[in-house]
Amino acid sequence: MGKKRKHTEIIEPTKKDDSVTEERPKRTLLGWKDKIEIKETEAPGVFRNKEKVLVTCSRRINFRYRHLMLNVVSLLPHCKKDNKVEAKSSKGATLNELVELKSCSSCLFFECRKHKDLYLWMAKSPNGPSVKFLVNAVHTMEELKLTGNHLKASRPLLTFSSNFGKDAHWKLIKEMIIQIFGTPKEHRKSKPYHDHVFVFSIVDDHIWFRNYQITVPHNESDKVARGGLDKMTLVEVGPRFCLNPIKIFGGSFGGPTLYENPFYVSPNQIRALEKKNKAGKYAKKVKAKTRRKMHELSNPLEPDEFADMWKE
Amino acid sequence: MGLARKESTFSDEDGFEDEDVSELNEEVSESESDSEGEEDVKLAEPSKQAVYNRDGLEEKLQDISWPENAGWIHKLTIDIDQEQEVDVNDDLKREASFYTQALEGTRQAFEKLQSMGLPFLRPADYYAEMVKSDAHMEKVKRRLLSEQKEIEEAAERKKAREAKKLAKEIQVQKTKERAKQKKEEIESVKKWRKQRQQSGFAGEVDKGELDLAFEGGKSFERSNKKRPGVSPGDRSGGKARKSGGGDSGKGKKKKNRDFRNSKFGFGGKKSMKKQNTSDTTDDLRGFSKGDGAGNKRRKR
Repeated sequence: MGKKRKHTEIIEPTKKDDSVTEERPKRTLLGWKDKIEIKETEAPGVFRNKEKVLVTCSRRINFRYRHLMLNVVSLLPHCKKDNKVEAKSSKGATLNELVELKSCSSCLFFECRKHKDLYLWMAKSPNGPSVKFLVNAVHTMEELKLTGNHLKASRPLLTFSSNFGKDAHWKLIKEMIIQIFGTPKEHRKSKPYHDHVFVFSIVDDHIWFRNYQITVPHNESDKVARGGLDKMTLVEVGPRFCLNPIKIFGGSFGGPTLYENPFYVSPNQIRALEKKNKAGKYAKKVKAKTRRKMHELSNPLEPDEFADMWKE
Repeated sequence: MGLARKESTFSDEDGFEDEDVSELNEEVSESESDSEGEEDVKLAEPSKQAVYNRDGLEEKLQDISWPENAGWIHKLTIDIDQEQEVDVNDDLKREASFYTQALEGTRQAFEKLQSMGLPFLRPADYYAEMVKSDAHMEKVKRRLLSEQKEIEEAAERKKAREAKKLAKEIQVQKTKERAKQKKEEIESVKKWRKQRQQSGFAGEVDKGELDLAFEGGKSFERSNKKRPGVSPGDRSGGKARKSGGGDSGKGKKKKNRDFRNSKFGFGGKKSMKKQNTSDTTDDLRGFSKGDGAGNKRRKR
């Protein structure tokens, strides 16, 4: 305890000095007007990442999706988990408020609809942007097929496929992912080693997420020669999911639409189609039957001339 | 406000897409039949109403991105080229591409970290909380083990099955061979007999008898002569003395029976066996001298 206090005492004076010498940045009630400027002014030349992510979900979420959320929470040491939020039309305002209250700078909101469809909102807090994804192909960390394991709160390496640089919206999403999923350097909960990798890859216009543990043969773990790195293998830890971007909004949880996925079909529509097809099946059958009957009536069989040959 | 607007745009879009729905019909049903229910469906061609505000996106990117002087160590990102387009529905290839991306990325990142002189692998004696609990890892391990065991057992079963098949085949071959041999022997004997008949060498007396024996199909009937080592009254044919010598191969039961017969008597004269002779009266093996428990008791 005593140690900790000392530490803070040491650090604070330097901060104060900075703020005294530089002009104090403008602060509004809602937070800082422009964050990056502030960071620069706070400590000139030194960038410090103070990202905090709020992770919540909607009410009536599926257990599977809830587990996915918990897995994400366990992967992000810089996140704050909060109570479920009612997914009403006014949820954007409540979420914004909540993010402010928790003094977070970004938010991951898992919204479950109809106990089936999971939407993921990724938002930067005070002034946007926010992205809405449809989440597919969910596998949680609890699955026994995913055999890896890694340190909690070690900083992940983020790998992106090169097609993230292809388009403006992908670039934006990449930047948001870097900020939200990357653990800040020297975060107080983080550990100084790297033993897992996140994979973000765009295949078929979806972002696929994977998490792998890095394993290096044991005896070389102290001093890794080049041979040791070559023998490195990866074991999947999980979770797995696949994000289908639907829309990008200018503000956080709202604002002008900047991007709309032109290929997107909502799962509701898909289900409706399926139902329609199924319903059509029976109708078709009935129709075919009546048609057949009509056909038989209109062209009756010719009377068989040998019909009563064997009657006698 | 933005949300309300969003809803309106959604409904708008729905109305628009209803036209496409009919032409989508076949395609959707096809793709749904072979893929999981979870797989999503895409529109065949991009809808024209979709918003794409490139300037806005770029502006936002400028807004949120970190300052230039933020080093790589803050981001820890690596971009990896995908060599070729991956087919989404080919699970193995897709996962392999993810794996290679991760592996390549880690290599590059580690090289960077190494050049910076930063530690990146945890030492062997660094213990800390892991993402998955020990209980869970135990479960994983158990599952792996059981899987392995299952595979081994299956392999063993397969092996046994094959061995059985082979054994059967061999058995069939053996029986065939035996039958063949038997046939050949009979044939050879017949031949020999014919030759003898032709040459007229043998005596005519037992010739007829032999003929009968062969033509009746009984090869080599037992002669009526006395067999050596069998007493004239013994109906068991000397088996009784051999004590369990019966090894006709019908199994344990037969053997057992034979042994008992030899011990308790089956077949043969009973009357003479049960009488004492001079030998049996002289035999004192059945008695002990009697310095056992009785004496001790008396001392007490």
